[in-house]
Amino acid sequence: MVSKVLVANRGEIACRILRACREAGLASVAIFAENDSKSLFVELADQAVQLQGDSITSTYLNQEQILKIAATTGCDAVHPGFGFLSERADFARAVTQAGIQWIGPSPSAIERMGDKMTARKTMRDAGVPVIPGEEIEQEDEHEALLAIEQASTRVGYPLLLKASSGGGGKGMRAVERPEDLLAAAQSARREALAAFGDGRVYLERMLTGSKHVEIQILADRHGRTIHLGERECSVQRRHQKVFEEAPCATMTEEIRSAMGKAAVAAAMAVHYEGAGTVEFLLAPTGEFFFLEMNTRIQVEHPVTELVTGVDIVREQLRIAAGEPMSCGDLNLRGHAIEVRLYAEDASNNFLPAIGPLAVFQPPEGPGIRLDTGVRQGDEVTPNYDPMLAKLIVWAPSRIEALQRMRRALDEFVVLGTTTNLRFLRELCDVPDVIEGSTDTTMIDRLWPNGWSASIPVELEDGALMAAAVSESSGLHRQVHSNAQVSDQSGPVSPFMTLSRRYP
Amino acid sequence: MLHQFRTAEGDVEVTVAKQGDVWQLGQHQATVEDDGRLSIRLANGTKGYATTAKVGDVWWVHFQGHTFCLERIEPGASQSGDEGGLVAPMPGKVLEVLVDVGQSVEGGQTLMVLEAMKMEHRILASNAGQITGIHFSAGEQVQQGSVLLEMVEDEA
Repeated sequence: MVSKVLVANRGEIACRILRACREAGLASVAIFAENDSKSLFVELADQAVQLQGDSITSTYLNQEQILKIAATTGCDAVHPGFGFLSERADFARAVTQAGIQWIGPSPSAIERMGDKMTARKTMRDAGVPVIPGEEIEQEDEHEALLAIEQASTRVGYPLLLKASSGGGGKGMRAVERPEDLLAAAQSARREALAAFGDGRVYLERMLTGSKHVEIQILADRHGRTIHLGERECSVQRRHQKVFEEAPCATMTEEIRSAMGKAAVAAAMAVHYEGAGTVEFLLAPTGEFFFLEMNTRIQVEHPVTELVTGVDIVREQLRIAAGEPMSCGDLNLRGHAIEVRLYAEDASNNFLPAIGPLAVFQPPEGPGIRLDTGVRQGDEVTPNYDPMLAKLIVWAPSRIEALQRMRRALDEFVVLGTTTNLRFLRELCDVPDVIEGSTDTTMIDRLWPNGWSASIPVELEDGALMAAAVSESSGLHRQVHSNAQVSDQSGPVSPFMTLSRRYP
Repeated sequence: MLHQFRTAEGDVEVTVAKQGDVWQLGQHQATVEDDGRLSIRLANGTKGYATTAKVGDVWWVHFQGHTFCLERIEPGASQSGDEGGLVAPMPGKVLEVLVDVGQSVEGGQTLMVLEAMKMEHRILASNAGQITGIHFSAGEQVQQGSVLLEMVEDEA
């Protein structure tokens, strides 16, 4: 039984989960740091409790404080969202031990997938293809470096060194030539040790020209483990996804079925429960290799929801309550694309931007979904992740989905804070994107020296005129002070403005 | 009306004229809609709505799927008005008054500090002269266009 859910997250994903709770008839509790007290997600919860502390560590990562709030508010379930504590096995264990339902897989499943070397071995044993490579078990620096050198001759170049506890590109090094190996291995181990307290690294052959394709899976306690098809997320910038779609443009029925089977086998190997994602590299040959498993809801889950008709967060709640999942057989329909709107200056090396959201007008119309944690009037601060929103479109075909995304991005108005809107819009016109032949190196290949917007001169004229006319007409005085409407002559009777009469 | 904007490519001077409800910039035309948006028709026939917002000194403009950032070079901030009155370039609060009536000031000297949109904005004397009047003190709110100080410029 689940009746009251604490959402241990913030921003966009907290909004997503809180809305799902409302729809499911579950009570909800939001937790928020002081600088989030005016954030949208706080409003969407039945109850909101402020976290004490002024750093992320002392607030959203503070397990003890969050558990205390769950207990005092009478929550019987915790949804961790993504990021923050979502893949912390110790937190999942603490929640479970407190008699509260963890909305996610077991702590041991999180552990076995979280340690990448263990995950590789588990997958190999389950018959899931992994990227050719070798794990290095040696803890001692000297022995480890020696083992890495020996393994490198078997793995071959170019190769990747990856931290076993890694994520987000930390402790990861690409090595092109044998003479660079030693220095790369030392710095990868150093970085991994500093970031994760674990310097172990492993080797993988670098598979160039591959697509990043991931399979969404769901597993309940009633013996069902299913997959919901794939998402392609090849368009990445420094391992950060920016453009995601479902289905993958080059997918065949045979490959989907094989990848789906492998993903289900991966989940069953760790007795998985809830929603999870198994990431693969898909080579141009049609061969695919296990990359890692994310044991949580994923940022790009909406594209799968739109093409399968499955509400993944709602299923998470159902599964956690011990009910069987409600979805039937996989039935893919149409095409969905998601882009991530970031507060960043794409033309200045994607530096994060801050400022007020003086205007925030998302596009509307058929086939458009916006998942966001902000609204007009909010301030973008440097305190958290710069992702403002996910814009997701659905259309009957991939071509139409791209056309719809172009239209939606053209309609999207964000003023006061610099965003990557134009970058996303131009991505939709890149031939590789149109043809669906994207791979993980596309952005670096297309814009090796950084991206900059190409703006037609006459539009610049139009913008200058708009600014000059706005200034001359005093628009800034009207727009920013709604209070002025009523300050003409003291108190105004509300009845005077009524033009309708009853009966 | 003449306005100066700072863009990535340098400073630009823009003069817009109004005939009836229609603003003109060369062959380009614009009208202000009731909802505050601008309906624009460019000389080449391009038609569309522009959404604008001012943050600090910067006009943000969304037009045809592009977003522009145009910093207005405020006349009140860099030069005195014709009658020697220094006006507030935007609504805000007076943070500091740095001169007294009767005081002689030099060109470029800071006379007053305003705060608007959480940004400080300095009111400078464009030329040397003498302060003849101060209309606001620290802590007071000012509307855009309020005359903040009066000064008589020295004969060149």
